Amino acid sequence: MSVRGSGVDEVVGCLPLKLVVGYRSVDSGGYLGSIMLVMDSRFTQQELPACKPILTPRWVISAFMLVSIVFIPIGLASLFASRDVVEIIDRYETDCIPQALRNDKVKYIQGPEDKTCNRTLRVPKRMKQPIYVYYQLDNFYQNHRRYVKSRSDKQLKDPKSENDVSACKPEDATPPGSNPIVPCGLIAWSMFNDTYSFSRNSEQLPLNKKGISWKSDRQHKFGKEVFPKNFQNGTLIGGAHLNSSIPLSEQEDLIVWMRTAALPTFRKLYGKIEVDLQANESIEVQLKNYYNTYSFNGKKKLVLSTTSWLGGKNDFIGIAYLSVGGLCFVLAMAFTIIYLVKPRRLGDPSYLSWNRNP
Amino acid sequence: MAGWRGSRSRPGGGSPRAERIPSSRTIQLGHVQPQAPGHRTVFCNDREANVNAKFKGNSISTTKYNVLTFLPKGLFEQFRRVANSYFLMISLLSCTPVSPVSPITNVVPLSMVLFVSLVKEAYEDWKRLQNDKAINNSSIEVLQDRRWESIPWKKLQVGDVVRVRQDAFFPADLLFLASSNSDGVCYTETANLDGETNLKIRKALERTWDYVTSEKASEFNGEVQCEQPNNSLYTFTGNLIIEKQTLPLSPNQILLRGCSLRNTEYIVGTVMMNSMNVPSKRSTLEKKLDKVIVSLFLILFCMCLIGSMGGAIWINLKDYYLQLGKKDSTNTPQFDPNNRFAVFALGIFTLITLYSPIIPISLYVSVEMIKFIQSTQFINNDLHMYHTETNTPALARTSNINEELGQVEYIFSDKTGTLTRNLMEFFKCSIGGESYGTGITEIEMGGAQRNGKNIGEVRNSSIAIREKGFNFDDARLMHGAWRNEPYPDMCKEFFRCLAICHTVLPEGEESPEKIQYQAASPDEAALVTAAKRFGFFFFRRTPTMIYVRESHVEKMGKVRDVSYEILNVLEFNSTRKRQSVICRYPDGRLVLYCKGADTVIYERLTSGNNDLRNTTREHMEQYGAAGLRTLCLAYKDLSLDMYESWNEKFIQAKSSLRDREKKLDEVAELIERDLNLIGCTAIEDKLQEGVPSCIETLSRAGIKIWVLTGDKMETAINIAYACKLINNDMKQFIISSETAAIREVENKGDQVELERFIKDAVKTELKKCHEEAQNYLQSASGPKLALLIDGKCLMYALDPSLRRMLLSLSMSCSSVVTRLVRKGAQRITLSIGDGANDVGMIQAAHVGVGISGLEGMQAVMASDFAIAQFRFLTDLLLVHGRWSYLRICKVVTYFFYKNLTFSLTQFWFTFETGYSGQRFYDDWFQSLYNVLFTALPVIIFGLLEKDVSASLSKKYPELYKEGIRNAYFKWRVLGILAFFSVYQSIVVYNFVLTSSSRGVTSSGKMLGLWDVSTMAFTCLVITVNLRLLMMCNTITRWHHISVGGSILLWFIFIFVYSYISTNKGIFYVIYVLTSTLYFYITLLLVPVVALLGDFLYQGIQRWFFPYDYQIVQEVHRHEPDGSSAGLLEIGNQLTPDEARSYAFAQLPQEKSKHTGFAFDSPGYESFFASQQGVKAPQKAWDVVRRASMRSKPKKPQTS
Repeated sequence: MSVRGSGVDEVVGCLPLKLVVGYRSVDSGGYLGSIMLVMDSRFTQQELPACKPILTPRWVISAFMLVSIVFIPIGLASLFASRDVVEIIDRYETDCIPQALRNDKVKYIQGPEDKTCNRTLRVPKRMKQPIYVYYQLDNFYQNHRRYVKSRSDKQLKDPKSENDVSACKPEDATPPGSNPIVPCGLIAWSMFNDTYSFSRNSEQLPLNKKGISWKSDRQHKFGKEVFPKNFQNGTLIGGAHLNSSIPLSEQEDLIVWMRTAALPTFRKLYGKIEVDLQANESIEVQLKNYYNTYSFNGKKKLVLSTTSWLGGKNDFIGIAYLSVGGLCFVLAMAFTIIYLVKPRRLGDPSYLSWNRNP
Repeated sequence: MAGWRGSRSRPGGGSPRAERIPSSRTIQLGHVQPQAPGHRTVFCNDREANVNAKFKGNSISTTKYNVLTFLPKGLFEQFRRVANSYFLMISLLSCTPVSPVSPITNVVPLSMVLFVSLVKEAYEDWKRLQNDKAINNSSIEVLQDRRWESIPWKKLQVGDVVRVRQDAFFPADLLFLASSNSDGVCYTETANLDGETNLKIRKALERTWDYVTSEKASEFNGEVQCEQPNNSLYTFTGNLIIEKQTLPLSPNQILLRGCSLRNTEYIVGTVMMNSMNVPSKRSTLEKKLDKVIVSLFLILFCMCLIGSMGGAIWINLKDYYLQLGKKDSTNTPQFDPNNRFAVFALGIFTLITLYSPIIPISLYVSVEMIKFIQSTQFINNDLHMYHTETNTPALARTSNINEELGQVEYIFSDKTGTLTRNLMEFFKCSIGGESYGTGITEIEMGGAQRNGKNIGEVRNSSIAIREKGFNFDDARLMHGAWRNEPYPDMCKEFFRCLAICHTVLPEGEESPEKIQYQAASPDEAALVTAAKRFGFFFFRRTPTMIYVRESHVEKMGKVRDVSYEILNVLEFNSTRKRQSVICRYPDGRLVLYCKGADTVIYERLTSGNNDLRNTTREHMEQYGAAGLRTLCLAYKDLSLDMYESWNEKFIQAKSSLRDREKKLDEVAELIERDLNLIGCTAIEDKLQEGVPSCIETLSRAGIKIWVLTGDKMETAINIAYACKLINNDMKQFIISSETAAIREVENKGDQVELERFIKDAVKTELKKCHEEAQNYLQSASGPKLALLIDGKCLMYALDPSLRRMLLSLSMSCSSVVTRLVRKGAQRITLSIGDGANDVGMIQAAHVGVGISGLEGMQAVMASDFAIAQFRFLTDLLLVHGRWSYLRICKVVTYFFYKNLTFSLTQFWFTFETGYSGQRFYDDWFQSLYNVLFTALPVIIFGLLEKDVSASLSKKYPELYKEGIRNAYFKWRVLGILAFFSVYQSIVVYNFVLTSSSRGVTSSGKMLGLWDVSTMAFTCLVITVNLRLLMMCNTITRWHHISVGGSILLWFIFIFVYSYISTNKGIFYVIYVLTSTLYFYITLLLVPVVALLGDFLYQGIQRWFFPYDYQIVQEVHRHEPDGSSAGLLEIGNQLTPDEARSYAFAQLPQEKSKHTGFAFDSPGYESFFASQQGVKAPQKAWDVVRRASMRSKPKKPQTS
């Protein structure tokens, strides 16, 4: 056996072979009916049908125009929707501390004093029901790594997983290591506990606190049979207390609070006022200023807002759409002008690098 | 698997004395003969005695792994890559509490990547194993217990006595003991090694002639002392010691592995062997990839530094809700406000794991997959590179370096068998001032085409006879028609000269059809064949006689056998450049026939008859211009007295002991004068098909081509012209050792002096050329430059002190040794060759290409790519190489972009989380981002992307320059991409977060962290995938499917995932999102805004600063793919060919304008020289290879 013989066979043998008996004309002249050791398909010959888009000025201009045509109406619509929304924002964390005690706010908030605070809000425009009541916290890092993971989703859902508190440290059990806290973890422990009640002309405005959380949370994440246990029993009280006779699935404030916010400035839904408010009406708010944001200089705001089809007041989307649409229009114009002023013939061979510098 | 002299020999086992060739990096080229320290002793026919020496076995192994080493070695190879080892580290890190992400985030992609890579490695190695097995299991007869037994090659051991039969291959390097021919001669074909198909004669030592039969051979017990295995094919030193008698061995007794036995029934030899190993090559792009990854790592490190510094500053007891100060088991020092340094230090680790996806882990595996498919599917199956005649497809033997094919700047090509077919054909002749032969060479055709003339197919008259070595057609000479020509006597002399003046051996049946001519050089065979066709059939040779069957001499149709007594043969050598034979006709006429180079013949012509001289010279110039090799024929009638007095001197010279050669030359000089010119012959050294146009295309593509040839300078120039390697527009620099000054010193015979002198000469030459070259380069429209340098000079020029100059000179030349450039310049080199003599060159270059097909397998086995024809290089480089380069570059930059973008969104989020290292995305998002949601489109892209079609790539070879310049993989390109990464990540992150900060449904509910991040991730996946489409020049439905599929896959994934993961923040998120209008509005806004920047950039770039390929696309935008309409020649001015003789005028010592010069084959000299025991001259490629081999470091060095 010779190397050559075996060798050539080997070369062939290495190939993933598919014998193709066929006819095919190649550039160098056709050949007929030979057995070829190559796979002849459009894929292997790299001749798959394809479109070859060339970014000609016409394309660029049309694309810009298209974007502006689509974006400007959407921008206008969302901007109008956003403008329709009436929003009342009341920042109260300083105002709700008696003047005399403002030097040491932390001491005040931790002290036994009455925390009631009355605020008056003026309705600037007619507000159609439902009017959503939010609280907004600033500089509160609900998205801190230590905070986000400090919860037990199992425990919240299933009464049997009561002891699944390993992620919740240091608020896992009270005293540590014995009775598990339900709901455990820093998130629940630090729940917001300011309360608001509204009245108009001394007449109480009913505040609907049902349905403020996402339905999926209520139904799937917070168990109907899970009741608060050992909650806020520690030495350090973080925030709200929970009624231990109400299952977690109905503790909507908790559910809302537990859906941690993405940014350190966030709003959370507190309730809904389901009557229309007229322009220039005054709304009295009696709030209990319990929550301690003073140690970290957090702001607290009360927000009343209506919604549109797009949601709350959100100029950003409208402005973004409008400006992008506008920018595209300008660009389309600019390109058109360039196209007219300084045209470049498509496929002008003199632009080829080897023709440019002889 | 070259044998003894095989390339890249590995030290022959761990023999005690085996001090190998020192692996010093200095190249000592002054010594032609490298003295390998130490030698080996082989005891023949005595396996026991050889055990001590521990010689290597005869099996070859080109595999990288075996079953046991596969996992450790394979994993080691994988972790040698920066990215993989990085991910291993990250995976380990993510198992610690420091990590914000769970280990799956990194372990999943890493294991997927490793798995795919290992499977690929295993597959490739398995294929190599199959190859090796076939070779190792070839059988060979070995003498065992006084009998010949068949054993496989791999079982062969050093010292065994073997019998090789006709047409079989030598299984190892053998010492030739005896042959079935009584005179101890055998013929070998060395095509496997050097690509030459002519037979070489090997002669056993007389002392060993008898060991033919098994009985006799078993009595043989000699001892061979020889040099250690090395890679020089033409030298060998050693001794055979039999019964205390020391016999010197020469290359003449060595049969090299890979050669085959011809015309000899069988031979007996003893084994001295070796095998080789194959270096693994990594592409320079891959090495650069590592650099990119290191720089990404630096970016990562900066990001971590910023983040953790921020963390250390931010951390504060006041945020009581985080209970940072609390001391308990969970509270690592990471969140201890009192230990800010710990916060900082641990923060770095946290953030590294968090940002780890910035390093594209799936990059290598994707790139490997792409390259693998490129080579197995595209290169191996390309019909344009499929050679129908031999049924040979192209073969990519490695898929590591595909994209280097797109960046080749230097091609080193072997000549014989690669550029030329090593097929000499008698093509034209001029007799008595009359030119005969109607053929048109490829060069003439090319020239005519350039001048706008169209020459049809070569008209073959019906009587044309074609056979090997004869491609002549002219009715005036054939079938005795020469009798009617003006000078029939001249014709007769011409034909007789052809039939008598040679050293050819006839073989086989004595009939014109069946006879075989064995010649040392194919030129000679061609000439004798021509004589046969003209009716002067040389059919028998005895030591003193030549028998010629002459037809039509006396009268048409009459045939008679004439015997000529050969009195003397004045042999050819390189100084004489001619060969003469003195013969006696049956009628007693004494004639000297001489053939040789025109320069030497013209000097020795008798005066007068200037007309004939001039017309013949004119013809020779014409032939030369047509790329033919010419030989002058002359004769001289001798008188008996004169001859006898001369013959005495000749015999005297022949028997002299000192300076025999020189004396012989002098004596020959006495009789070779006053010759009568007969005419000249023109032989075509058949080029491989399509070589000239291929070379022209390649040089237009900015590739510099160096041809390495063993020919004379003139022949080299001739071939260079023939291949369109040089043309008259070029300024040529010629550095030759054949100058008067050098020759003078040579004649003094002082080697040291000679060395010094040549060195100086080369130095001054180089300096001169270099300066001149600089001048040309500075002038804007200077001519292209070409450098011609002969082996001897090259050897000196490669000397470290001169190397730099040679390098810079050669780099400015567009047309001219492999390692040199590879080491000195950061350019990609490609070597192409067909024989084992090219193996070193092939392995030393970045890309080695072997010519497969007719010749042997040696080159192919060592190569990275094998093609059947030189001309396929166009397709391999301009189409596959260019596309591969383009694709890989774009794939790599895309990976860079998409991972940077992803990590940056994460980075921006860090600022909003109090630098705590909270992850923005879910673990699975992060781990699947690279391997699922953005993986497939980029692979499809890497496979199918084409900027311009194959035919356009070949039509505009200049496009290839973008690869040489590395235009697609510059820091600038990466910088622009990085800029858009930053832009896009800011858009995605900020737009989503800002727009989601208010109520998002008409029911006023708010989104949480996971809703927002899912939203952002959705936008990111869409943006990144669409961005890929924007990069495409070709969009097939597979692009649509893969891009659409990836986005769809993400949605399917998130819908399923967020449904089933009830215990995670991600639960139900997507359902919440899709229930809002906000989701859709943002989804339209964010990708559009993110991609607007790129779109604008691309629009402007294309409009104002178009790439060449973009212009070409535009030019051919209306053509369907694959069509090639009329070539648009732009500013390509062509000049006529006349001035080509300029180059020859420059040749020192060469007054003539002619070119052709037969006796090309290097084998010729060695053949005759070795017959007389003279050492064969050094071959250019040997020198070159030695230069490249000697300095070989173990691993391919980084560029």
